[in-house]
Amino acid sequence: MSSNKDISPPKIIKDRGSIHPINNMKDSIMSLLVSFGFEIVDGPEVETEEFNFDMLNIKKTHPARQMHDTFYVEKKSNLLRTHTSPVQIRGMLEKKPPLAFISGGKVYRKDDDATHLPMFHQVEGIFIDENVSFAQLKDLIYKIIYSLFGDDVELRFRPSYFPFTEPSAEVDILSKEGKWLEILGCGLVNPIVLENCNIDSDNYSGLAFGLGIERIAMLKHGVKDIREFYKSNLDFLSQFK
Amino acid sequence: MKIAYDHLVDRIKEKPTIEEVSDNLLQLGHEHEVEGNVFNMEFTPNRGDCLSINGLLRDLSVFYTCDINQKIYSEELNSLQIDFKNLTPDICPQISFLKLEIDKIPDKYNGYLNDYFLDLGVNKNNFFTDISNYISYETGQPTHCYDADKMNGRLVLQELDINQEFETLLNKKINLKNKNSVFLLDDKVINLAGVIGGKSTSCSSETKTVLVECAFFKPEAIIGKSVKYDIQSEASHKFERFVDPACHDRVIRRFINIVSEHANIKDISAISYEFEQNKVIKIPVNVNKINQIIGINISEEQYLNYLSKLGFLINNDLILVPSYRSDIETQNDLAEEVARIIGYDNISKNDLNIPKGKISNNYAIENKLRYFLLDEGFYEVINAPFVSGSIDNSIKVDNPLDSNKTYLRTNITDSLLDNLLFNERRQKDSIKLFEISDIYTSKNNEIIKTRKIAIIASGRVGHNHEDFSKKINQKHLTEIFQKALPNENFDFQILSRDSLDTKIKNEIVCCELDIDNFSPEVLNYKQTVKSPDNYNQYSPISDLPYSIRDLSFSIKDFSKRESLEDYILGFKDEFLKKVYIFDYFYNEKNSEIKIGFRFVFQSPSSTITEREVNDIIGVIINHTQKIKGISIPGLN
Repeated sequence: MSSNKDISPPKIIKDRGSIHPINNMKDSIMSLLVSFGFEIVDGPEVETEEFNFDMLNIKKTHPARQMHDTFYVEKKSNLLRTHTSPVQIRGMLEKKPPLAFISGGKVYRKDDDATHLPMFHQVEGIFIDENVSFAQLKDLIYKIIYSLFGDDVELRFRPSYFPFTEPSAEVDILSKEGKWLEILGCGLVNPIVLENCNIDSDNYSGLAFGLGIERIAMLKHGVKDIREFYKSNLDFLSQFK
Repeated sequence: MKIAYDHLVDRIKEKPTIEEVSDNLLQLGHEHEVEGNVFNMEFTPNRGDCLSINGLLRDLSVFYTCDINQKIYSEELNSLQIDFKNLTPDICPQISFLKLEIDKIPDKYNGYLNDYFLDLGVNKNNFFTDISNYISYETGQPTHCYDADKMNGRLVLQELDINQEFETLLNKKINLKNKNSVFLLDDKVINLAGVIGGKSTSCSSETKTVLVECAFFKPEAIIGKSVKYDIQSEASHKFERFVDPACHDRVIRRFINIVSEHANIKDISAISYEFEQNKVIKIPVNVNKINQIIGINISEEQYLNYLSKLGFLINNDLILVPSYRSDIETQNDLAEEVARIIGYDNISKNDLNIPKGKISNNYAIENKLRYFLLDEGFYEVINAPFVSGSIDNSIKVDNPLDSNKTYLRTNITDSLLDNLLFNERRQKDSIKLFEISDIYTSKNNEIIKTRKIAIIASGRVGHNHEDFSKKINQKHLTEIFQKALPNENFDFQILSRDSLDTKIKNEIVCCELDIDNFSPEVLNYKQTVKSPDNYNQYSPISDLPYSIRDLSFSIKDFSKRESLEDYILGFKDEFLKKVYIFDYFYNEKNSEIKIGFRFVFQSPSSTITEREVNDIIGVIINHTQKIKGISIPGLN
């Protein structure tokens, strides 16, 4: 004797799609930072040299401004932003401190190989208030890294150089294989940048940080070749449901 | 830049191990790889002062007792008679020349000079050029050696708008174009200033009389030149990153000293030109500010002690920045020096509490659209914006990566079509994609940004027994989208395949809409899919072809159906990519269920063979044949 269940059609298993792993990673990080108190701001990908370089204390002589590193458009009247930092500049010009912004999105550099792409994604954050210190920046970075990689991850801070922060640091985490991997750049906002944005650097200081989304997504998902993210291959995309 | 451990440690009293030096270099912010006994350094672009043995020792002096003052020639120098004119003092505010004659060219090098070539595997050229290269390694100051016998005439340094061929001392012919700072000898270019010298005046193994040029070029005059002319130039690498403008006398005297240790000097004369006085940067002593910036509490004595170790002078309440530290101008710069010495990892963290900010709702509509599309089986893609074709309002890239990427795209659909064809070529029979992106155009010199969503689909509606035989078409998509989001007009269009390089006939349906045109009603959509809350580990994908097999079963004993489904849908094999029920029919009259399974096979390493597929299918058939009441029609 057969039951109705035995003869009923099989349950329809609908194919579900997936958010692109880079957007998913970006959204996760931005949600984390919003939970820390940051507000999301937006800015254009086609930027001016003024916002992308000058306001950020990136001097005319800086190698990043060369034609071999930056995509210029419309007879050099504009460029494709090389980082999301110009959004912070726009935010600082619009609002008065204390302020805490994050921005995320596509950025462009003139690279194309197995580890670099001409388009990639960043999330950046900035916090401006009275007496913001490097020690507080460290506290924030620890919170971010622990949230992303777990409380038991080992990390280190290394001095580095970004024209828009001083002191500047790069942060590495120790991989399971025992290799140090660079995860983010950060620092205290260079007072020159604050002054460029009409913020009195005698009264205010700030911290800033930036993460490369592809790097973190590669580590989290175990993707070895950055180009896989942008082939739009369904075999690849269907793994991130 | 490669720096040998032995060359450093020879000048460090404490004789630290290579591991200790490596750790301290890292603490100071000098990234490197240790390759045998050599540090392969990667300095940040603001630390041009470290591009030498002396530079690195100056930084390591915070940990060790370092000997930076090598022996120099200390006698008075005769004034060099030279017919030289600097027409670009703004670019080259300091320049010195040394003329030196020896009686015999040495046939071997002593101690440290020999070690330099041996330990770093550097090729030797000729006596004077070899010393010049070593001097650059030791002091960080590039010098250029002319064969003095070839230097008869008027020497002029000038920035010229020039168009002429120039042969470098490495026998490379380059076409100088546009503005270049050059040295001219009787109006002929003999040296691309700060980058590379010319062949016509270069030293050879016969040269006994040398004219050494020791200059300070401002970085902006040099930057980009080596890339422009595709020249590997250590000199330009250093000038671009700033060299010490106040080191000329010491460098020239060191040059003479090294020569004197290898040959008898018959004649020496030198001259220095200073067209602009070096400015000493002075920063007020303010330890409270330093403590506030870093978030520490050190005493003023400790603070000044740190700076003294790095070569800073303290004069009353002012800190005088050494001439080689072009990167130090502000209190924040000094704070970084202190933090480096303490060690970033040794600075304790202080609690940071950020007041809650405003929650932005800018992306609410597009996020809701995203999840609706996920529910309907669409995959999100991201494409780079560079395309070959243009329309009237396209934005042109001045320096594209290649000629196929000259413009910014003005629509997303073309990118999605490429993605769809890419997947069709990989035997995907149900393709549903979408992308959300800003699109940039130009109108009357204004950049216009539009946020858009584009959707494309083709092939089967789905991989289940109900949707398998249905094809995606305009009507189908319109109905689904209308049902879920009744207030929106997606306006699906059919894309012609006429000009596409494909034999597949499935209808391609697409739409592209401004996000701003969606109504807030979208937010009422009740999504079923959630974003993944864990990070799936990716399995490498294969570009090799699929092999597809279908198996149809006849079920007479309906109670066995569930176990058949469980077995087949749960079957695992490394070559089995996917299995699903593509057909189901209950024949009440015959009291029979017919159920069809589709198996998709792919090998990660080579094209999967018939035999490999048959072996796997054989295992499945063998198992299912043991289930009573289930048969495979046509098998026996």
